[in-house]
Amino acid sequence: MRKNQIILIALSFCIIFLLGENVFGGNNDIAIQDTVTTVTLSEETGEEHELPELFMVIPFVTLLLMIATGPIFYHHFWERHYPKVAIALGTITVIYYLAVLNDSHSLLHSLAEYLSFIALLGSLFVAAGGIFVRVNKRATPFVNVLFLLFGAVISNVIGTTGASMLLIRPYIKMNRNRIKPYHIIFFIFIVSNIGGALTPIGDPPLFLGFLRGVPFFWVFGNVWYIWLPTLLLLLFVFYVFDSFNKGNNNNEEEFTGKIEFKGMKNVGYLVIIILSVFIDPNVFSWVPSLAPLPFGIREIIMFSVMFFAYKGADQEILKANEFDFEPIKEVAYLFIGIFITMIPALQLIAHEANLLADKLTAGVFYWATGALSGFLDNAPTYLNFLSAAMGKYNLDINVKADVLEFVHHDIIYLRAISVAAVFFGAMTYIGNGPNFMVKSICERAGIKMPSFFSYMFKYSIPILIPIFIIVWAIFFR
Amino acid sequence: MHSIEEVLSKKLYGLHYYNRIILPFKAHFLKVIVSDNIITDFSTNSKGIFIREKEDFTDVYFLEYKDIKDTLSKYEAVKMVIVEKGKDIFDFKNHIKLSLYLEGKHKVNIEESDHDIIFLE
Repeated sequence: MRKNQIILIALSFCIIFLLGENVFGGNNDIAIQDTVTTVTLSEETGEEHELPELFMVIPFVTLLLMIATGPIFYHHFWERHYPKVAIALGTITVIYYLAVLNDSHSLLHSLAEYLSFIALLGSLFVAAGGIFVRVNKRATPFVNVLFLLFGAVISNVIGTTGASMLLIRPYIKMNRNRIKPYHIIFFIFIVSNIGGALTPIGDPPLFLGFLRGVPFFWVFGNVWYIWLPTLLLLLFVFYVFDSFNKGNNNNEEEFTGKIEFKGMKNVGYLVIIILSVFIDPNVFSWVPSLAPLPFGIREIIMFSVMFFAYKGADQEILKANEFDFEPIKEVAYLFIGIFITMIPALQLIAHEANLLADKLTAGVFYWATGALSGFLDNAPTYLNFLSAAMGKYNLDINVKADVLEFVHHDIIYLRAISVAAVFFGAMTYIGNGPNFMVKSICERAGIKMPSFFSYMFKYSIPILIPIFIIVWAIFFR
Repeated sequence: MHSIEEVLSKKLYGLHYYNRIILPFKAHFLKVIVSDNIITDFSTNSKGIFIREKEDFTDVYFLEYKDIKDTLSKYEAVKMVIVEKGKDIFDFKNHIKLSLYLEGKHKVNIEESDHDIIFLE
C-alpha cells in the first residue's frame, strides 16, 4: 500500500510538472479562447485565466466532508485509504485545470505554497520531536493558565506549529492525572492558533502579509489590544472549566517543581528554521530565486534541517517522545489534497470579494475571512481578502508600495483580516496545520479526542463564537 | 505460567507474528493503544482486537492490521493497561501500564511504561 501511495503522489507531481511547461514556455492560449467570459488575474505573472466552474468546489467539499466523517463512520476504510482519497480528489482538480482551463500556473503556485507549508511544518515537527521537556509540577487551573499563556507568547517567536510541538507533550504529562479533552481543545485554541497573532512568524497568513510589504511590527502594534483581551477571556473560560476538574485525588505523587529540558542541539535547529523563514527573495534581495522550481533556498534549508535533526537526535529522547512520522504524514497527504482542491474555491471567493469590495465593511471582512479560514487554509484566504480590501482603493497587492500605502491608509481592514485569519483557524481541526498534529499526538497518548463535528459543536462554536462576536462588536462593527 | 511482575523483573519477552502478539502471562485488559487507535472494546464482537487465553500464554490479535510492525515506528510501542489475573481490577494500584516494543526476530520487549512516555490510563 505504501508503494501505491508513493506512486500516486509522484504521479500527481509529475502531471503538474510535465504539463506545467505551459507556464514556463509561455504557451498559454487563454487570450484566444472565445468562451472565456470571466477571468482571474494571476498574482505573479499577471496572466489571465478563466475562472473555474462552481461545481469544481465539489472535490474540495467532498474532501472536507470525508475528513469530518471518515474517522467516525468508516474508520477502517479511512485509515487505510485516506492518502488515495486525498490524491484522487486532488487529481480531479489538476486534470480540470490542465485540460479545461489550460491553467498550470495556479497549480504550480499551490504546489509552491504546499511545499513551503510542509517544509516549515515538517522541520518544526522533527526538530521539536528531539526536544524533551518535563515540568514536574502539580497541574492546577492556575498553573495551566500560566502554561497556556506562556505557550501563546512563545508561539509568536517560534510559530504556532513550533510552540504546539514543543509544549503539547509536557502539557499532557503535567496533567496526566486529570487530563480531559477540553485541556487539549484549549491548547489548540490558545497555543496552536490565537496566541500566534502578534508577529509574522506566529502564523502563516501574517507571514504572507509580511512578504507582501506589511511591516514586521505592524501586527504587534495594531493587534495586541485585541489579542490580549481575547486571550485573557479565553484563559478565564479555561480556568472556570479547569476549576471543576478535581482529577485523581488519590494520586500521592510528589512534585519537585523542577523543569527538565533535554535536546539543546535541536533548539539550535529550531533557531535555524525560524531564521530561514526570512531567507526569501521578497525579504532580502541577495537571496537567489530558484524559479521556475516550486521551492526556494528556504525550503531546502528546512528540509535539510529536518534530515539532520532526525539523524542526529538523541534516541532516548525520540523514544520518550514516541517519535513517529505518521502525524506529519497524515498532514502531508490530507493537505496536498486540500491545497489542490481548494484552488477553485479560493479563486471564486477572490473574484466575488473583488466584485463586492466596495460594499464590504470591516465587519464583513472580519466574518468572511474568519468563516473561510476555519475551513480553508488561512494563508491564501488572508491574501485574497487583503487583495479585495486593497481593491477598494485601487491598490495592487503585488506592489509593495501599494501595500505600504494601504497599511497607512485605513488600518481597520487589514486589522480585521489579520485577526480573523489567525483567530478563526481554531474553529476546526483543519483550520490550521498544528491542530491536526496536536490531535494525533494526543490520541497516541490515549486521550479520546472529539470528532470533527464534536470539536465544532461542543467546543469551538459555543466557546469561540461568542468571544469572536465580542471582538467584532468592540473593534469591527 | 509467569506473573506480570515476574515477566518484568526477569525481562522475559513475548513474540509477534504479523497481527498477532503472544504475551507470556494472563491478564485482564483495560485499554490498548496502537498508534492513535485507542481500543477499549475487548468483547468477542470487538472489531479491533481478539484475545485468546492459552494455558501458558495469551494471544492478542489486532484485527485492523495486517502486520502490526508496519504500523509502529521504532520508537513507538503498543501500550496497554492491564491487571494481573486474580488481582482486584477495581483497585487502581493493580493497574499496570506496559509498553511492548516490537523488535527483530519476532521478539517483543515488554517494559513497564517509562515515566517519560505519555500514556494515560
